[in-house]
Amino acid sequence: MTDAALELPRIVIRRRSRFMRKAFPYLMVGPAVVYLLGITLWPGAFALYRSFYTGKFKWDYVGLENYRVLLGDEHFWTAVWNTLLLGSITLTIEFSIALLLAALVYRSPWVKGWRILFMLPMLFMPSAVGFLWKLIFNDGRVMADLLFRLGLVDGGVDWMAHTFNARFVLVLVDVWQWTPFLFIILVAGLQGQDKEIEEAARLDGASFARMFWNISLPLLRPIIAIALVLRGIDLLNNMSAVNIITQGSPAGDTETLSYFIYRTAFRSFDHGYASAASVLLLIATVILAQLLVRKFFRSGTES
Amino acid sequence: MSKRMEGPRWGWIILSIWGVFALLPIIYFASIALRPRNEIIAPVPIYFPTLTTETWFKIWTEWPIGLYFYNSIVAVSGSVFICLILGVPAAYALARYKFKGNADIGYYILSTKMMAPAAVVVPMFFLFGKLKLIDSVWALMLVYAAMNLSIVVWIIRSYMIDIHPEIEDAARTDGASDLRILWEIIIPMCMPGIITAAVIAAIFAMNEYLFTLIIASKNAYPLSVALANFSGGSDGIIYNAIALVGFLAFFPALLLVILIQNHLSRGLTMGAVKG
Repeated sequence: MTDAALELPRIVIRRRSRFMRKAFPYLMVGPAVVYLLGITLWPGAFALYRSFYTGKFKWDYVGLENYRVLLGDEHFWTAVWNTLLLGSITLTIEFSIALLLAALVYRSPWVKGWRILFMLPMLFMPSAVGFLWKLIFNDGRVMADLLFRLGLVDGGVDWMAHTFNARFVLVLVDVWQWTPFLFIILVAGLQGQDKEIEEAARLDGASFARMFWNISLPLLRPIIAIALVLRGIDLLNNMSAVNIITQGSPAGDTETLSYFIYRTAFRSFDHGYASAASVLLLIATVILAQLLVRKFFRSGTES
Repeated sequence: MSKRMEGPRWGWIILSIWGVFALLPIIYFASIALRPRNEIIAPVPIYFPTLTTETWFKIWTEWPIGLYFYNSIVAVSGSVFICLILGVPAAYALARYKFKGNADIGYYILSTKMMAPAAVVVPMFFLFGKLKLIDSVWALMLVYAAMNLSIVVWIIRSYMIDIHPEIEDAARTDGASDLRILWEIIIPMCMPGIITAAVIAAIFAMNEYLFTLIIASKNAYPLSVALANFSGGSDGIIYNAIALVGFLAFFPALLLVILIQNHLSRGLTMGAVKG
């Protein structure tokens, strides 16, 4: 009786065909892959198809005209430039602050408390954060008033009329909300490092700063790379703050590529033209993704 | 005897400065939710307003906040459910089976996370238009699931790799089938990973802005985009409604994140950074 109960499943396994055994992992991973292909490949193909048409309320075939115009479009290149410029400035500032804060906190007994405190801005919806800072800078005039009280300005400040000011606002908003993202990752990376090496360095008389700079930081490099890749990708896609706070003003100087596509497609209703920009962005991100993903993440069962 | 490990003594000053910078706008935001409408925008900003919750009732009657909340909950939890149904088996196959293309499939799944949403937002609009899913929570659910599936697969995969293969081998010699091993051994053992993945996917879905903006137009508004709708003609933007809804979405996120705080960095890096 017990013998039979034990034997039965084994027979079932043996009976399972070679084909089934080979197919099993594919059947497990298949649905997810099909779903992702369906929601990336299909729209990609559709964008490519539509990019050969004008899309203002009716579809007329125009061949490569959209691309020709796009590559000569000053607004498009401004958007590309803004995306890269704002992204790299923001990333640099966020990383510097996050690294400083992480270095000061990672061996502190209060690290969990600091982490919760610093994390709070990250937990608000980006759209809510957009409106919060729109109120602080624009509609509520809080920032101008504070600067006035400190004697730094003599009256109102128009944050949206000057390129520098408007870009400053966008950078500040992102730094406020997303520095903790890098901070959390860096703290975890530092906490994972061997305490004894630090201890030994300290006993040898190295100052904390020296120890951190010469030992902890080089060891942290792979984690820094992953953190920067993830935040960098999100920055390239930044659009909610632009849409809510500046809407590209002044004169498109804060327009990011994502916002350019959104505006062209859903404000000017030029869907064909927006599709052409989408295709270029898609190609760029696919290439970028292939490079980054394979370099910084480990796949397969061997890891 | 041993030197201080914690770092310089003045460290807390810098940490406090950043803490104040992080906190002040939030306190201001809270005060916006708590003040009457005429004290929000004034010639000179009011820093110490009359605190009242009276406006909440007005906001509640003026806008269908209950509906926005319901939409958010349905779209977000539905998307997390899809992610887990598709993601757990995929993660298991990637973590445990040697098969041709394992690494490539893993990378493909991860690379969808790197794709710019703006690159597919225009065709997505037409796709959902054809399916008659514009302004539907179902469309939001499908998009959020697609957006988060890669994260969910990679997080759970990282936790599954950490489980000792001997445990499964023992079960296998006892005659358990692969699916039973997954269901009865692997899933319970990597529950922290599954919960982490679910929480992070839920928060990202809750925050999604671009797709939501083009898909939802009235009936399907979830909280993230409903905010922008709070403008009452001559009143301009109704900031206290925005602040109130902002906090309504903030508190659940805070609770969830505290729940998984020790897994947070691992979740945010898709398993690459442990701790």
